Amino acid sequence: MTNPAHKKHDFIGRSVLSALAFLKDATLSEEYANRKGFLQSLDPRFKTISFLLFLVTVVSLKSIVLISPFYLLCLILALLSGIPLRNFLLRTLFFIPLFSLFIVLPTLFSIVTPGEPVWSFHVVGITGIITRPGLDGAVLFVVRIATSVSLVVLLSVTTRHSELLKVLRVFGIPQLFVLTVSMCYRYLYLFATMVENIFTAVKSRVGVVSHQRQGQNVVAWNIANTWNRTTQMSEEVYMAMISRGYTGEPRLLSKFHATPKDWLWLLCAVVICASLFYRGHTL
Amino acid sequence: MSDTVFELKDVHYSYLGKFPALCGVNMTIRSGEKIAVIGANGTGKSTLLQLLDGLIFPDRGTVTAFGERLLEHSQDNEKAAHRFRQRVGLVFQNADIQLFCPSVREDIAFGPLQFGVAEDEVSRRILEVAEVLDIQHLLDRVPHQLSIGEKRRVAIASVLAIDPDVYLFDEPTAGLDPLTVRHIIDFIVNANQRGKTIITATHDLHIIGEIADTVYVFGRNKSIVRGGSSESVLNDRSLLESNNLIHMHRHHHDGREHVHQHLPLEPHD
Ligand SMILES: Nc1ncnc2c1ncn2[C@@H]1O[C@H](COP(=O)(O)OP(=O)(O)OP(=O)(O)O)[C@@H](O)[C@H]1O
Ligand SMILES: [Mg+2]
Repeated sequence: MTNPAHKKHDFIGRSVLSALAFLKDATLSEEYANRKGFLQSLDPRFKTISFLLFLVTVVSLKSIVLISPFYLLCLILALLSGIPLRNFLLRTLFFIPLFSLFIVLPTLFSIVTPGEPVWSFHVVGITGIITRPGLDGAVLFVVRIATSVSLVVLLSVTTRHSELLKVLRVFGIPQLFVLTVSMCYRYLYLFATMVENIFTAVKSRVGVVSHQRQGQNVVAWNIANTWNRTTQMSEEVYMAMISRGYTGEPRLLSKFHATPKDWLWLLCAVVICASLFYRGHTL
Repeated sequence: MSDTVFELKDVHYSYLGKFPALCGVNMTIRSGEKIAVIGANGTGKSTLLQLLDGLIFPDRGTVTAFGERLLEHSQDNEKAAHRFRQRVGLVFQNADIQLFCPSVREDIAFGPLQFGVAEDEVSRRILEVAEVLDIQHLLDRVPHQLSIGEKRRVAIASVLAIDPDVYLFDEPTAGLDPLTVRHIIDFIVNANQRGKTIITATHDLHIIGEIADTVYVFGRNKSIVRGGSSESVLNDRSLLESNNLIHMHRHHHDGREHVHQHLPLEPHD
């Protein structure tokens, strides 16, 4: 049967499945965090503080020459931490700066950033002029965004989410919040898997019956079912917590182990940031 | 009687007031006993274990634990609640429910930490428990990415870390390979020899001989249809068959059709 509607349905199904798989892989799996590498071996507190330091410096610097060393640093750190460069570049260079382009695009033009025109064009009677300061500002902006995004990606990819959350604890965020968010994370993964399974199940059933209506019913029923399971599950998880002594104020493991290597790393980070910051503000 | 752990008198429980799950259950469990609760799906085994763990409370009838009535408001006092929770541990039927922490290590630590055990002692216990259940290599893994058998072992470890007097197991061997089943049976038998009281809900008749001295059979009426020593229950085939615990096996042998029961204790040909 070569029904085009059927094919389309299948295409949507496959796209949803692969989108889900990507989402699960990109945000929820902690593949790189579990590898052995330089960044993975650092104490999450020291790592977070040093990356915050980098970020602040990158944002405050106004010269591409001074920002690019940080980008180079990111690439070196990625290599030292077992992250394939291709994968890392894809994540940072391609996806996220794409969004920042939408922010930067208006500042290119003369209305927003006046100056010497570099290139002008006419679209339906409107004259657009790209200015020199506008272009320079845009390039700087993109480099800055790319570097900041690289830093954030690097930190989040090499640290388990639960540990990042625990670093928040160190900064005085309540334990209950940390527990709740980490549990959301954990069950999000479970639900993604559940939706995936349901999708496959529906597809296999629709495949046999090949009856659009029936397929829709199965989908509707499964969505309702997922919802029920979700609420029931949260009740049961609560019971499981009660059973092991939870009384409303959770207590979690909080120990981090700082080594001389962590201090050394922090010292390096401070020196790098201070010297580039100094150069940036005396030039 | 000071060694009575649980005493249930005419216990009734229904979900949302309209789905009956237990109807008139009477039971006395003494310290150090090995008990199995068997019954078809939906006969109230999990509900019973949750009642015994003080997670739900009967609509009618009484549950007494360690000589005190289990009441909902007795859980309001943190000290009293902790005292009970430290004595009774439940391994849930669904390990995904039980393991809610971001890492295996933290899941094992959760119980002891709630009871105020110091972190050094907790770290020591994690290693000890991981060794008993052979999960040292899983400590830094994410619980939901483990296999069913690994999750089950982690779930048991999370209860063992509390070191309760009474273990409640809900289908501990469902869906596991023979070696893992063996490991878990050994764990149960071992714990019992150390004086722990064990109550297991299961469908798996093969393991009952080892994990229980006394067996309660739950029927479709959601109450106990028979209680007795494990041999006497396992030998009562008509009882087991009428309660969906064994079934007739029909297959071909040398071209002749052949019907026999699927027996719990003997391997079938
Ligand atoms: N959350 C719930 N809401 C409504 N009814 C429920 C709920 N949980 C269980 N029941 C009902 O209570 C009865 C007993 O359920 P229970 O889970 O205790 O059975 P079980 O013996 O553990 O079954 P299984 O062998 O399948 O685990 C069943 O009829 C079931 O439909
Ligand atoms: Mg059950």
